[in-house]
Amino acid sequence: MVTTPDLDRDLTKRPRERSWGMVVDLDRCTGCQACVIACVAENNIPINDESHYHEGRVMSWIRVERYWEGEFPNVKARFIPLMCQHCENAPCEPVCPVYATYHNNEGLNVQVYNRCVGTRYCANNCPYHARSFNYWEPVWPEDLRHQLNPDVTVRSRGVMEKCTMCVQRIRRATRGRDDVPDGEFAPACVQACPTQTLTFGDLNDKSSRVYELSHDERNYTVLKSLGTAPNVTYLKKVED
Amino acid sequence: MNPNLAIKIAVPLVGLSVALVALAVGWFFISAWWSQPPAILGFSEGPEQPVAFPHTVHVQQAGLDCQFCHRTVSTDEAATIPAVEQCLFCHDFGKIDGTLSSEPHAAAEIQKVRDAFYGSESRDAGAIDWARVHRLPDHVQFVHQPHIAAGVSCSTCHGDVASMEVVQQVRNLKMRDCVDCHRELNAPTDCVTCHY
Amino acid sequence: MALTRRQFLKWAGATGVGAVVFNGCSVPDEEIRVQSPLELPEDLVTGRDNYYATVSPADGEGLLVRVMEGRAKKVEGNPDYPINGGKHGVRTEGLLQALYHPDRIAQPLTRIAPKVGPFRRMGWPEGLETLKATLEAAEPGSVLIVTPPLRGALAGVVRSFANAYGARAAGFEPIGQAPLRRAVADVFGQQALPDFDISRANYIISFGADFLGTWVAPTRFMRGYGEFRQGHRARGRLVQVETRMSPTAAVADEWVYVNPGTEGRLAMAMAYVIIEDGVPPGGTDRAYTGGGGLGQIADYRPGAVAGAVGLPVERIVELARAFADSSHSPALAIGGGSAGAYSNGAANLRAVYALNHLVGAANRPGGVIYNPAPEGDRVDSLSLREWKDELERMRSGEVKVALIKDANLLYGLPAELDAAGALGNVETVVSFSAFLDETAAAAAVILPGHTPLEEWGSDAPEPGPGYRTAGYQQPVVRRFRDTMAFGDVLLQMGAQLGLEGMPGATMREAVRAEARAAHKTGRGSVRAPTFEEFWKRALERGGWWDASAVARSTSPVRQVAKSVAAPAFFGDARRYPFHLVPFEANALGAGQLSHVPWLQSMPDPMTTVAWSSWVELNPQTAKRMDIAQQDVVLVEASNGRFIRAPVYLNPATPPDVAAVPFGQGHAQFTSFAAGRGANLFDILSSGEERDTGALAWAGTRVRITKTNRRAKLPSLEGPDPAVQLADQPIIYIQRSNGGSGAAH
Repeated sequence: MVTTPDLDRDLTKRPRERSWGMVVDLDRCTGCQACVIACVAENNIPINDESHYHEGRVMSWIRVERYWEGEFPNVKARFIPLMCQHCENAPCEPVCPVYATYHNNEGLNVQVYNRCVGTRYCANNCPYHARSFNYWEPVWPEDLRHQLNPDVTVRSRGVMEKCTMCVQRIRRATRGRDDVPDGEFAPACVQACPTQTLTFGDLNDKSSRVYELSHDERNYTVLKSLGTAPNVTYLKKVED
Repeated sequence: MNPNLAIKIAVPLVGLSVALVALAVGWFFISAWWSQPPAILGFSEGPEQPVAFPHTVHVQQAGLDCQFCHRTVSTDEAATIPAVEQCLFCHDFGKIDGTLSSEPHAAAEIQKVRDAFYGSESRDAGAIDWARVHRLPDHVQFVHQPHIAAGVSCSTCHGDVASMEVVQQVRNLKMRDCVDCHRELNAPTDCVTCHY
Repeated sequence: MALTRRQFLKWAGATGVGAVVFNGCSVPDEEIRVQSPLELPEDLVTGRDNYYATVSPADGEGLLVRVMEGRAKKVEGNPDYPINGGKHGVRTEGLLQALYHPDRIAQPLTRIAPKVGPFRRMGWPEGLETLKATLEAAEPGSVLIVTPPLRGALAGVVRSFANAYGARAAGFEPIGQAPLRRAVADVFGQQALPDFDISRANYIISFGADFLGTWVAPTRFMRGYGEFRQGHRARGRLVQVETRMSPTAAVADEWVYVNPGTEGRLAMAMAYVIIEDGVPPGGTDRAYTGGGGLGQIADYRPGAVAGAVGLPVERIVELARAFADSSHSPALAIGGGSAGAYSNGAANLRAVYALNHLVGAANRPGGVIYNPAPEGDRVDSLSLREWKDELERMRSGEVKVALIKDANLLYGLPAELDAAGALGNVETVVSFSAFLDETAAAAAVILPGHTPLEEWGSDAPEPGPGYRTAGYQQPVVRRFRDTMAFGDVLLQMGAQLGLEGMPGATMREAVRAEARAAHKTGRGSVRAPTFEEFWKRALERGGWWDASAVARSTSPVRQVAKSVAAPAFFGDARRYPFHLVPFEANALGAGQLSHVPWLQSMPDPMTTVAWSSWVELNPQTAKRMDIAQQDVVLVEASNGRFIRAPVYLNPATPPDVAAVPFGQGHAQFTSFAAGRGANLFDILSSGEERDTGALAWAGTRVRITKTNRRAKLPSLEGPDPAVQLADQPIIYIQRSNGGSGAAH
């Protein structure tokens, strides 16, 4: 069964069948954190204890940032959920010395835990601060381990991790099927979001909701000037 | 004997034996890394199971197909080990209680399965905690469905389970093993196929 | 001995050489523990997951729980359930960690000597025997059962037990909704809390209710809010009148700060303007004038209240006209939260909800949707006034036995009432809590209850979706610890004491009895020829609901908003210059969920602070007082009590306001909550709302003193409140007048 690998094989010859992407409608977001906790539960993200906050090493695949503008009484607070933008032209990818992060043919920016050696170059190069490094061996108080999702690797210390767009759910939903109806499944954050701020789908499918929304007149991409070409599109917040 | 000569002989001898031991240990580790650990120390034996379930009887004598019990193998990640209830389809309602078997232990083993379902003096009703035979590292997500869909037979990876009294792992199932086969069959080699 | 591959790896890992070589392939120990469950249902299929429908009675959400090999893995919203439609809030996911919490009480406990000493373990037979002996010995009238507010099957069990035995049942929640209930009953004549049709409203003005964050049913309201903003129709407009910028105020188009406790008078003035302009078609001014003309509320012309409210007359007129503007129809007014938590809370809320009558928003699409009157038993929470009486009965020795389930009196009653002293006078306190909270720690016997994912129950969600809804709660996993459901304990006691009229032998039977009534109607989401089939399908769907069973009666509009008194504040304005504005923590509520590590670690939406308490102060005010970010301050109330917490300089905090979250400051309640932050109930005045006797939790005045300590706040944004970079903003704004640009 063991054969000589065909090193000349063109690994890129597969067509880009799908391009998973997300749209974030800032006019719907209320900053409620439902996406954050859904992500934590689905993806075995370590519990951020107090020291994670003190040291600025909070681990999150999605977070809601809040920005102040002005002072009382003319003051505004605005929320923006941020996760890995799955850039087509990702700054994290070329700097990895061991090819632990790369782009696959489904539009996903992939992090391979067992390849990662923990240089943290990728996190330094990510303008969205989307990557979390396991500075500590993740610990769950004994019984809490029963909750861990068996479909997702528990990362060990020294490994970089980030949003996968719940690739375990993508794998499960698309297994053995070419046609997955739009909206049939969603990453944990999208599924939980009560206001439907988040929409997920295949950007290559022109009839999908995510394609339609990503072409809404309010669309923009975060830090567009950097030319990262994200797969996550934002819709502008509407104000007076 | 000239003590100098003794030292001259002894030092290389000791050095050589240390080197040999180191080499043996190194070979042990490296072979374990690249393939199965060598067949010493009982590595080739399968784990002891809470119920001595003989695949031989079920496949060869009863003629059951793998999927008769491992029902989700063609649709799901896991082939799944069936619920105890399913064993009772034959072993209780079907009245196959092992008393006709030539195996002396058969009746006692089947009684263990019934006890798991109905409960007994020595145990509560509940699942049987089977020992896992094929275990991949946590960072590997193996899914049976596409393999079955691609026409890979069970025995390709699991060996001839039909003739195993005690199930054991026969193939090393290391990443190279997987990838070689994937390349040969032009199956995806994208890392995130298995690692996520 | 046959060395297994796994042992080999472990051994190899220990040799040092192996540590390098095998790092990549070693299987962490823990993974194996995850996959070898302790207790499995006999129908378990190894390697496959299942989804079970259940409900979370605490917040009325319908859930699907993913269960694999006997372990609950993920909580998801039930897409079928009318309340939350597949969505869930931040608190719901915490059910998982409550289930597998390392500090759960694992078996029944009793003191080594009566009332004193540490706990010792005992088995359930001894525990139940102890309880039975206690109940047999006690005078029935001297037994008090304390629970959180209950509805559904457990309420029925508690009520039946209390009636048959002769005990009293008392509900307790730290922050009740009594003023809201009173206002809804007065203004709309409804017993059940109404639903708000947010998705179809065009204009919403909310007074004090953080309905997108923590108020009543945020997940349901947020579902509507998404559509309200960017659904198929024109974008709705939201105005939030509030004394602290909550997340709801942050996302509102206008945040209107009014002086605390003047929300009702602002609503009256708005009503005055609208009536003067002419009541819009479909509306009526009877709730204000009783048909007696504008003269009835002449005291509330904008000019007369503007000063007290703290808004210019023009602004009041503008708000009123916008609300009544026909282009904004349907318009909706919501009130609650801090607006109902002053001495004049119920009057405030009456004045607010009566605005809906002016624009004809009562029981109309896009307005306030009435719910059918609640069926079945309920245990409602007593008001603070009634709790003061109960504490007095405890002190006098009238209450001899207290059976307490999850109601944390010692944490959630204002400390000045000395609930601990009162409870200490009760001869026997039996706790049924799953966790050792402050009240359980004061008990003589603990018979630990299940967590919600392990027990049977039912829920009649409140507010309902506008029609009759029953959610069925089933255990999705076997009990994880040696615990027993509170309802089952009561039912067993009932049987052993020979009590009549108990609704079944087990909670499961009690739920089935409820379901039988639903089956008999022959209507609704599940219909089946036999009850067993109905039962099975209703459990699969997570409940039963009947969209045709809507509220029947609408009563004529009475004059209920004729006047709103000025609020009374507790503390002299000169010596205690700050309004203490407490608010429910986004994830922890009023401290009921502080034991869940996930919820502790969720950042507060506005400040991004986690794991702690903080005091929000206006940056200019703080500067004048020489207080800097993260300085620890003393917050002192007029009752002489104080708490300490670090300062968060919040640019949205009004100059004379100190905002502090509820939720922390537990002395007990697991290692994740104990000794963390400050408990607001320690300093809150026990002043009451006038009409209902509810705790007027927003009416306390405080003074702030700088200490010489600083404490680092654990926050996502770091020590400096985050603002966007002017040249690289990440949030873009579309101006509703068509312009667009970046926010900075």
